[in-house]
Amino acid sequence: MSTTNPQSDAPSDEGAPRGLRRWSGRPTEGSPAAAARVRRRSKQRRRVANVAGLMAALVLTGTLYSALSPAQATEESAASESSAEAAGRELYERSCITCHGENLEGVPTRGPSLIGVGEAAVYFQVHTGRMPLVRQEAQAPDKPAVFSDEEIDQLMAYVQANGGGPTLPSGDLREGDLAEGGELFRLNCASCHNFVGEGGALSSGKRAPSLEDANDLEIYTAMLTGPENMPIFGDNQLTPEEKRSIINYIQTIKEQADPGGFGVGRIGPVAEGVVIWVVGVAALLFGIFWMGSKA
Amino acid sequence: MSTRESAPGTTGGADVPGPLHGGPDDEYTPEQLASMSREELDLLGAGYDDVQVLHVDPGPEPGSAAEQRAVRQVALTFGLAGLAAFAAFVIYAGSGWFLPDWQWEITEGGWSAIFTPLIGALGGLALILVGIGMVLFTKNLLPHETAVQDKHDGSHFDRVTTGATLVGGLHNSGLARRKLITRSLVFMGSGIGLMLLMPLGGLIRNPNTGDPLGTTSWAEGVRLVRDDGSPIRPGDQQPGSLETVFPAVPGGNRESDAATMLIRLRPEQVSVDRPRNGQEDFGYGDYVAYSKICTHAGCPVSLYEQETSRILCPCHQSQFDVTQGAKPVFGPATRPLPQLPITVDDEGYFVARSDYIEAVGPTYWNRERI
Amino acid sequence: MARTATAPGVPTSRLGKAALEVDDRLIVAGPLRRSLNKVFPDHWSFLLGEIALYSFVVLLLSGTYLTFFFDASMREVVYEGTYAPLRGAEMSAAYESTLYLSFDVRGGLFVRQLHHWAALLFVASIVVHLLRIFFTGAFRRPRETNWLIGIALLVLSFAMGFTGYSMPDDLLSGTGLRIVSAIILAIPVVGTWVHWAVFNGDYVGEFIVGRMYIVHVLIIPAIILALIAMHLLILVKQKHTQFPGPGRTEHNVVGNRLFPAFAGKAGGLFFIVFGVCAALGGLVQINPVWLWGPYNPAQVSAASQPDWYVMFLDGSTRLFPAWDINLPGDYTIPALFWPTVVLPGILFTLLALYPMIERKLTRDTASHHLLQRPRDVPVRTSLGMMALTFYVVLMISGGNDVVAEKFDISLNAMTWAGRIGLIILPPLAYVFAYRICLGLQKHDREVLEHGLETGVIRRLPHGEFIEVHQPLGPVDEHGHGQLAYGGAPVPKRMNQVGGARRAVRGFFKPIEEPVQVELEQRRDEHGLAAAESDRELTTSGRPSDGGRPQEPRD
Repeated sequence: MSTTNPQSDAPSDEGAPRGLRRWSGRPTEGSPAAAARVRRRSKQRRRVANVAGLMAALVLTGTLYSALSPAQATEESAASESSAEAAGRELYERSCITCHGENLEGVPTRGPSLIGVGEAAVYFQVHTGRMPLVRQEAQAPDKPAVFSDEEIDQLMAYVQANGGGPTLPSGDLREGDLAEGGELFRLNCASCHNFVGEGGALSSGKRAPSLEDANDLEIYTAMLTGPENMPIFGDNQLTPEEKRSIINYIQTIKEQADPGGFGVGRIGPVAEGVVIWVVGVAALLFGIFWMGSKA
Repeated sequence: MSTRESAPGTTGGADVPGPLHGGPDDEYTPEQLASMSREELDLLGAGYDDVQVLHVDPGPEPGSAAEQRAVRQVALTFGLAGLAAFAAFVIYAGSGWFLPDWQWEITEGGWSAIFTPLIGALGGLALILVGIGMVLFTKNLLPHETAVQDKHDGSHFDRVTTGATLVGGLHNSGLARRKLITRSLVFMGSGIGLMLLMPLGGLIRNPNTGDPLGTTSWAEGVRLVRDDGSPIRPGDQQPGSLETVFPAVPGGNRESDAATMLIRLRPEQVSVDRPRNGQEDFGYGDYVAYSKICTHAGCPVSLYEQETSRILCPCHQSQFDVTQGAKPVFGPATRPLPQLPITVDDEGYFVARSDYIEAVGPTYWNRERI
Repeated sequence: MARTATAPGVPTSRLGKAALEVDDRLIVAGPLRRSLNKVFPDHWSFLLGEIALYSFVVLLLSGTYLTFFFDASMREVVYEGTYAPLRGAEMSAAYESTLYLSFDVRGGLFVRQLHHWAALLFVASIVVHLLRIFFTGAFRRPRETNWLIGIALLVLSFAMGFTGYSMPDDLLSGTGLRIVSAIILAIPVVGTWVHWAVFNGDYVGEFIVGRMYIVHVLIIPAIILALIAMHLLILVKQKHTQFPGPGRTEHNVVGNRLFPAFAGKAGGLFFIVFGVCAALGGLVQINPVWLWGPYNPAQVSAASQPDWYVMFLDGSTRLFPAWDINLPGDYTIPALFWPTVVLPGILFTLLALYPMIERKLTRDTASHHLLQRPRDVPVRTSLGMMALTFYVVLMISGGNDVVAEKFDISLNAMTWAGRIGLIILPPLAYVFAYRICLGLQKHDREVLEHGLETGVIRRLPHGEFIEVHQPLGPVDEHGHGQLAYGGAPVPKRMNQVGGARRAVRGFFKPIEEPVQVELEQRRDEHGLAAAESDRELTTSGRPSDGGRPQEPRD
C-alpha cells in the first residue's frame, strides 16, 4: 500500500463516486457560478485528493480484509444494503460508533442520536471537519475534513438509510434574488454571523463560525439541520428558494472586492479604531518627532 | 474736532495730519528708519514685540555643497508631490475615458476596486510630500534662530483704569439707587427670556398620552407573520428553531417595538420549561413567543443558542434563558423579555391572544405605573 | 493720511506700494508684525493640538462636499442604484443618498472615507493633546479657562462624531441610535419627555435624521469654530508654556518666531495631516455602509460597536451589573442610567474640574508658565495613569465580543475580566506609575550628585572596584555635585555632555560626528601612505592582524 497508488487516486477525481451521489450538490454545469466554484474548489480538491488516496487505500484494505474474514455478523443483516451503505457502515463503526451508538441512537454524555438528522447533517458535520470529534469541548471546532468526498457520500448513505431525515438539495444553490437574500440574511443570520459572515462570539466560549470558508452546500445544510447551537431553519420556515437567495448573498458579498481599499477584516469600528491609533496617530507622532528633531 | 465740523454737509476741519501714532513713531523718524538695514529693522520690530533674537545659526552657505544637496532634496520632494498630484488627477479624470470605468461592479478585483485606493494613495502621497518638502525647507535651508519673548502678566495700570471706566459708567446710570428700574429690568429680562425660549415648546410632546411605550400593534387575533407577510402554521418550524415574526398590520415589519421571536422548543427544552408565574399558558404547544427587543437597551436580541436555550443580545451581551421565561441570566439586563400570548386561529395560523401584558423594550422611569 | 512722495522710507517696489495701500486702509502692519514675531517653543509635543486643528479643517472641507449629496430624510425609498446586492431593498432616503455618494459620485467614496478618518483622527488627536496638557501641568493657573474650553471641545467632538456616525441610517448606526434612545429613556423623571422632544415622539419616528443633520453640519461646527477661536486667542494672549531648561523662565518663551521657521513647519504639518487622512481615506475602507445594510429595528449584527471614542461607554454598559433601582411609588431608575449618563457625567466633570481640584489640594495658586515633567509630580502622573487605565479597560470591554471572537476567549469571561479589571487595575497603575516617577527622579538626582557613569572601572589600592563618575558641575569637598534639581532633563550619557563623541544625532540611526581631535588626526594621516596608516591602526588596535603587511589599497 502506498500513497502514490494511481488506482486509489483515480476515484476521488472522476466519475465512479459521482454515480453514487443521488444528490447533486453541484450546480448545473455550465452556469457561471458553477464554473467559479469549481475553480475555487479545485485546489482544495487536489489537496484532499492526496489524503483521500491514502484513505481509500486503507478502506480498500479494510473491506478486502472483512470480506475475506469468515465470521461476519453484519454481512448477513445488511444483505439488502447498497454497496455505499455498506461502506458507510464500515466507516461509521470505525469512527462514529463510540459516541453515536450502534444504531445511531446516541450515547448519553457522549453524542446525540443521529436518527432523523439525515444526510444533510452528516454532510455538514463531516465535510467541515467538525466530526469526528477530537475531544469534548464547548463547541466542535471546524478543521480539515478527515474523510474524502467519497467516504462522506458513503456515510451519508448509511445514516440516511438507517436514520432518515433532511436530504441534500440539488440544482444551483445560488439561484436566488440577491437583495432578498441580503434582507433575509440580516434578519436571520447576521445577528450571530455578523453583517458579512465574519462570525461572532456567543455565550461562554461558544461562537458562531465565520462563513469565510463555507461552501454553498455547507451553508445550505447548516440552515437545514441547525448544527449544535444554531437554530434549525426548516424548509417551511425558509423555503429552499429563500435559502438559495441567502447563499447567493453570502457568497457574493464574500467574493466582491472592497471598493474603498483594504477592508481591515470588515468588522467595523473596532478595527477602524485600531487603524487610526496604530497607523494614523502613530504616523503623525512620528512626523512631529521628526519636525522637532534638530537638523 | 468739534460737532459743527463733523455735521453732515460740512467739509470738516482742515486737512492737517494729526499727531503721529506716538510710541515708536515718535522715537524713530522716517529718515532714521530708512538708514537702517533690513536685519536691523527686523530686530528693532521684534524688540518692540518683546522678542529678542539670541542666536542665529545661519542656513547653509550659498553655493555650498550642503546647500545644493538640500535644494535638490526639497525640489525633488516638491517635484514628486506634483507628479503624484497630476497622476491622481489623471486617474480621476481619465477613468471612464481612456482608463477603465470607475463605476462599481461585483468583481473580485478590477479597476472599480482600485480606483478609490489609487486616488487616495496618490493624493495622500502628494499632500504628505508637500508637507515633507516644507519641513525639509524649513529645517535645512532657513537660518535657525533662537528667540526669546517676554511674557507679561496683566497690567496693574490697565486694571485700575478699566475698572474706573466701568464702575463710573455703572455709577452714572444710577441703577444702584434707582431700584424701580432695576426691578423692572429683572422682570422684563425674565419675560423676554421666556418669550425667546417659547418656540422650543414646540419640541415638547407628552409621552404619556395613549401609553405609546407600553403598547404595540399586537392585539387579540392579530396574526403572526413573517417579514414578507406570510402567516405561520404550527407545523412550519422544526423543534429548535427561531423565527422573527411581526404583527399582521400595515407596516408591522418596520415597527420598532413589535418584532417578536417565535421559538419552537425541542422536547428536552419543553420538559424543563418553567414559564413565569401567570404566563404558563402564553405558549402554544412547544411554541413560545418573546419580544425581540432587549429589555436593557432596545437592541434586537436573537442570537439564539438552541442547545443551551440562551438568547444573547449582541450589543451588551445580556443573556436570557428561554426555558425560564426568558429570564436574564447574565449581563446588564434586569428584566425578562416580555412574552406574547399566542394561540392558533380557525384557519390554523398563529395569532396573538392579546398585546404584550407589559411594556416591551428598555426600562424607563414610570414603566411600572402604566 | 498725508504722506508725501518724497518722504524717505516710502516703498518703491510694486509689492511695497500695494502693501502700503492695504495698510493705509486696514492698519494691519502693527498687529501683523506682532503675530509674525510671536515665539513658539520648539518641542514636538506642542504640535499635538495643531494636528487636531488641522484635522478639523480637513473635516470642514470634506464635510461641505458631502452635504452636496447627502439627503437627510427618512422617507422610505426603494434602492435602484449601482450596488447590486441592495437593488430592490427598502431603505431611507438618507441611506440611499449615502449609497449614491459612495457608488455613483466620482470620488465620492474617497471623500466620505476621508471625512470619517479625519473624524477619528480629530478626536484621537484631541485626546493625545489633552494627555500632554494634563501630564505636564499646562492647565495650571492662568490656563484653566483654556482647559475648560478644551474639555468642551472634546465633548462636542463626541457629539459631532455620534451624529455623523448615525446619519447614514445604516444597520450599524441605527443600532447605536436605538441604544441612545434607550439611554434617553433611562433618565429618571424626565427621560420619556426628553425622548419625545428629541425624537418628536416614540422611537424612531421620521425626524431624527434631519435633526441630527442640522446639529452636525451647523450647530456643533459653529460652536466648535467659536471655541477654537477663543482657545487660540487665549493662547496668544497668555503665550505658550515651555519646558524648563537653560534660559527659560516663568517670564519668557524660548523658541522660534512664527515667521518663517514655525510657519514652515506648521504649514508642512497641515499638509501631512491632510495627506494622512487622504491616504487612509483611499487605502483603508471605513464604515462600508453597503455591507451593513439599511436600518431595520428588527435586525442586528453580531459585533455592533460605536466608533472608538464612544466605545468606553459601550464598555461601561456591558460591564455594569443588572441593578434596577425600584423606588416607592413604582418608579424605576434603570440600570442603563448609571453607566451611560452618570459615569460619563462624573468622568467629564472630574476632568473639567481637575485644575481647580489640584489647586485646592496643593494650595498652589501661583501662575505657572514652566511645565513640569511627569516624574516631578508623581501624584498627578499616577492619578492620570489610573484614569487612563480605567478608560482603557472600559474601551477594551466595549469591543470585548470582538476580542473574545478573535482570540477565542469566552465572552462571559471577558465580561468578568472587565468587571474585575476595572476595580483592580487602576490602583495598580497608580502604584506602578508612582514608583516609576520616583525612580526616574531619584536617578536624576543621583546623576546630579555623583555625576555620569563613565563606564571606566578602576581598582582602588585596597582592592575595591569602583566606576569613575563624571561630575556635571562643581563639586564640594566630598566629591558631591552642587547642582540643584531643577525639573529639567539631566544628561545621562557621556556623549550628551560632549564627552567621548558629540551628542547623538540623526533620526533613523545615530550619526556620530567625529570630534575635533579625530578630524585633525585624519588630516595628518592624509599625507601618509594608506598602507602605513592602516598598519598603524592595526598594530595599535587590532592584534589579530599581527602587523602583517597589507596590500596597499587603491
